[in-house]
Amino acid sequence: MHYAFMLITEAQGKALLQAAAIATPSSQELSSLDEVRACRIALPVAVKAQVAAGGRGKAGGIRKAGSGAELEQAFGAIMAMRFGGEAPSSVLVESWLDIARELYLAVAIDSRVGGFNVLYSPRGGINIEDGPPPLSYPVGLARNFRAHVLRALLEPVESDAKVRERVISTARRLLEVAQANECTTVEINPLVVSSDGALIAADAKIVLDEAAAFRKTATAATIAAARDKAAREIRLCEEANLMLVWLDGEIGLISGGAGMTMAAMDAIDGAGAQPACFLDVSGNPTPAGFGLAFDLLDRAPNVKGILVSMFGGGLHTDRVAKTLVELLAKRVSSKPVTLRLNGTRSDLATTILGEAGHRNHATLEIAVADIVKKVAGTRS
Amino acid sequence: MSILLDADARLLIVGITGKFGTFSVKDLAQSHTRVVAGVAPGRGGQSVEGIPVFSSVAAAMRETHANAALIYVPAMVALDAVLETIEAGCPLIAYPGDGLPVLDAMEMRAAAIEHSAHLVGPNSPGLISPGKAKLGFMPSFCYAPGPIGVISRSGSLSYEACFRLSQAGLGQTSVIGIGGDPVRGVNAAEAIALFHDDSETRAIIYLGEIGGSEEYALAEYAKRPDAKPAAALLVGRTAPAGKKMGHAAAMIGSYAESWGAKVEALDRAGVVIARDLDGLPAAAASALARAMKPAA
Repeated sequence: MHYAFMLITEAQGKALLQAAAIATPSSQELSSLDEVRACRIALPVAVKAQVAAGGRGKAGGIRKAGSGAELEQAFGAIMAMRFGGEAPSSVLVESWLDIARELYLAVAIDSRVGGFNVLYSPRGGINIEDGPPPLSYPVGLARNFRAHVLRALLEPVESDAKVRERVISTARRLLEVAQANECTTVEINPLVVSSDGALIAADAKIVLDEAAAFRKTATAATIAAARDKAAREIRLCEEANLMLVWLDGEIGLISGGAGMTMAAMDAIDGAGAQPACFLDVSGNPTPAGFGLAFDLLDRAPNVKGILVSMFGGGLHTDRVAKTLVELLAKRVSSKPVTLRLNGTRSDLATTILGEAGHRNHATLEIAVADIVKKVAGTRS
Repeated sequence: MSILLDADARLLIVGITGKFGTFSVKDLAQSHTRVVAGVAPGRGGQSVEGIPVFSSVAAAMRETHANAALIYVPAMVALDAVLETIEAGCPLIAYPGDGLPVLDAMEMRAAAIEHSAHLVGPNSPGLISPGKAKLGFMPSFCYAPGPIGVISRSGSLSYEACFRLSQAGLGQTSVIGIGGDPVRGVNAAEAIALFHDDSETRAIIYLGEIGGSEEYALAEYAKRPDAKPAAALLVGRTAPAGKKMGHAAAMIGSYAESWGAKVEALDRAGVVIARDLDGLPAAAASALARAMKPAA
């Protein structure tokens, strides 16, 4: 249950908005040239890559087509593109909007609010991040939304009373979408004001709460799709209950707990090297878990050496020591390894490692210095 | 003193018959914490390691006068268990589990506030007042009594950080795990307020990370003229943006959620910054020294 984040595609997101009677442009989702040729959306149209990666517009994943030939060409070009390594599964073809203004409206979980925050900016669009921060209405539970509170907040920033009222009713619907579908973010950018004053959701960025998959079949399906698309290594870690994020450095890091793994990454940086991964084995500190961790790091070409750093709280480090001794005896890779097992039963762990000819380093910092030195040695 | 949890704690464990519940009974017995009751629906009248089991929290509260609850049930039924415990009148509850839907965390938080109860968690090892009592599963050997109040978003980091503080002679009044999820019971601002009001806590140590905005609560507090001195260690300096680093809330989604932005805000507010875990004891000692010698 640890796929980076459950961002659904624009087309899927807009289906959720439409179900809540939020206006969207007329559209068709197309994944083959035959479908493109049969498309009946009135020209001109916007042709939009359907990917989970952000920054799609700036990367050229949204194009305008004024004729059938242009539409075919845009389709072919976008389907051949990659967005953060991701290939579009389809394009969304939408009628080209007649835009009077672009607004920004979102609801998102906020830690300091302890629930939903409503965010609004009278200047939306792709450069939203360059402008002043959006107005924020801390709602908390969706049922605590009050139109009059939002209205009072909007009055100083949104002078058009008609737009204001439409924003308020759209905000309430976004909260309902977030609540009903268990979303952590529902963002519309831009929320277009058309020349007749109507509000139309020209985009939809919706993030589902993966923890709700046990009671939301759509979320479970999104996770399954992410699993199918994920790299083999990420999938293996997922199945073995390890947490893996690849990074750019050369020190393979096997650690325990999210916070301590980040602390070890930072310690590697502090010693003048860079971590090759965030790899947390605390969910499965067994021969199978450590075995997979070593296998992945031994195979990864950018990994020049491996640091195992575990602090035993509930975990008995003597058991980890035994596991490591057995694994290292069978291991074929010659990449250098440094071990550091502190905490519960670490005296025993040191003895077990020592008897097998391995050194247990006393602290994280000493161990980091050791692996950084060994890796520097392999390069010279 | 300490925050929320003291030597008079009388714990009940919801889910006592499960693996974690039974482990916890033995672990708590070794850390001098009194467990007076267990709860497991349909198992009333039984006992686990000599602790009587009740079928409902209300019955357990009535019979044993428990005043704190530790809840070990799966995420799927956690909201129900927490609401039952809050509504039975239990004033202090820890729910350590992870993988809780955020909507359920929001409901738990709102119910706790409505009933003036304190909820610790989700996704947290709990709360410990060293030498007095433990409401959670953190390894007791890492802690020692002393004048420092510790707040942590990460379980694993708090174990090793407190171990190093204890080794350096810097003991703790209480250590609270506010958890790695975006919505929590007691949050950073509330934990800070509790330590501020605790007469024995002389300095506050905050163990944070990238993602979310909790750290700004400490920056706001530290600017108050009556603030207790504070030190902070934030991890994830080397974490890339847009990637979730283990915890649900540990992801940089905007500049304000980055290590650099948070450290700058804390530094400007006068919080002593430990750049690495290695530097934490010195940062904590420096904050504590300020408490000993108030500025003229």
